[in-house]
Amino acid sequence: MSDSPVSVHNPNEGQPQDEGPSAAQQKQMEQAYAQMKRKMSMQEIGKKIKHKIMVLSGKGGVGKSTVSTGLALSLAQQGHKVGILDIDITGPNVPKMMGLDGKRLHVEGGRIHPAQGHLGVKVISMAFLLDDDDTPVVWRGPIKLGAIQQFIGDVEWGNLDYLVIDFPPGTSDEPLTVAQSLPDIDGMVIVTTPQDVALMDSRKSIGFAESLKVPVLGVVENMSGYTINGKSAPNSTVEIAGPGGKSISTQADDEGNFSVVVDIFKKGGGKNTAEEFSVPYLGALPFDPGFVRGGDDGVHRIVSEPEGHSAKAFSEVVAAIQEQIGASESSSLEII
Amino acid sequence: MAEIMPKLTRLERRKSDLLLTYESGDELSVEYVDLRHACPCAKCAPNRNEDQTSIDLRESVEKLANKKPKVVTIGNYALSFEWEDQGCSSGIYRFERIWALANNKDPDNGKPYVHGPW
Repeated sequence: MSDSPVSVHNPNEGQPQDEGPSAAQQKQMEQAYAQMKRKMSMQEIGKKIKHKIMVLSGKGGVGKSTVSTGLALSLAQQGHKVGILDIDITGPNVPKMMGLDGKRLHVEGGRIHPAQGHLGVKVISMAFLLDDDDTPVVWRGPIKLGAIQQFIGDVEWGNLDYLVIDFPPGTSDEPLTVAQSLPDIDGMVIVTTPQDVALMDSRKSIGFAESLKVPVLGVVENMSGYTINGKSAPNSTVEIAGPGGKSISTQADDEGNFSVVVDIFKKGGGKNTAEEFSVPYLGALPFDPGFVRGGDDGVHRIVSEPEGHSAKAFSEVVAAIQEQIGASESSSLEII
Repeated sequence: MAEIMPKLTRLERRKSDLLLTYESGDELSVEYVDLRHACPCAKCAPNRNEDQTSIDLRESVEKLANKKPKVVTIGNYALSFEWEDQGCSSGIYRFERIWALANNKDPDNGKPYVHGPW
């Protein structure tokens, strides 16, 4: 202690020295800045990407990722600049279907650059960030939300004509977050298969779209019919045992070639659902085992057989979607 | 029976209000001050629960510059307004809310704001 009789008052005594913000404050400031930048970036992305299409289904296993990649490739075939955002965080499989298995994302200047798959389609997926295919992603809602916002706001998509967004099945956090973060979404494509269970869940998806105020572009019926081609005696009648032992007959042509469509999972359910809810029916996609092989090999059916039956079915669905987008464009909000 | 809201097709930012044109042909306006007083964010909304705090909120927004805001679309269901001044820009206005304000109706339907899960 000092012996001096004079006490000097130091107003800063006991107060922290003016050394700028603490490490915790600095981190908070950085996070707030990053969040603000991301919000601005999401608005900018909205302007750079002309059309944003969400692909959903109420039920799993209906071929949503196959449809998403098919739509993206079909649009790219038309000469459009296309991207796919794989929002299925816990089960991402778009990269495998696009021949990008094992690829990593390029990060430069704090921006994530998408990988480029077949026909120049840009792809962003959680799969690129996993160390191996067997690593599960176990995240609670808020973490998923942050990752999705990062996938939207921090990705350098460049100018795109179409962004196709592939979701996990159901009506949960993921589509809700995207609908609230990305401006001017053109609408949702609901994928279904003809079974009653899938259709029941598709109806939920339509209700979900209405509650989010995102237009339903329409319903696509996937795995709609399996075409069997064969050879028999010329002009003969061929009988095939269909599902439930039901006999399907067809006529072979002059050369003995025949072709018959077997409706493995019933038929027309997608169209009925669309009519029931007064939403457009976009068409049916065939049950094509080539999709499974193509998906596993990383060469999509549209790439391996661009003039094939499935590629044509996809181009018809794409045309129906474009018609819907054109209709919604003419009635969009004008802000001046 | 619930009233069906027509689609908003045009929004013009004028000096002190928004001019809204609906698909039905309705042309309505909302003063910036009314819009800001009706901010649905969790910070502003509780202030409208009591008469006095609602008056205070209104006085506070009246003191602001209330210049043309930047309009941001939120999905296809709502708009948000970014104001140049220090006032609140957090609110997400569903189209139903804007329609209610334009028709001089209480956008909260007389319900007080309650924090927490609904």
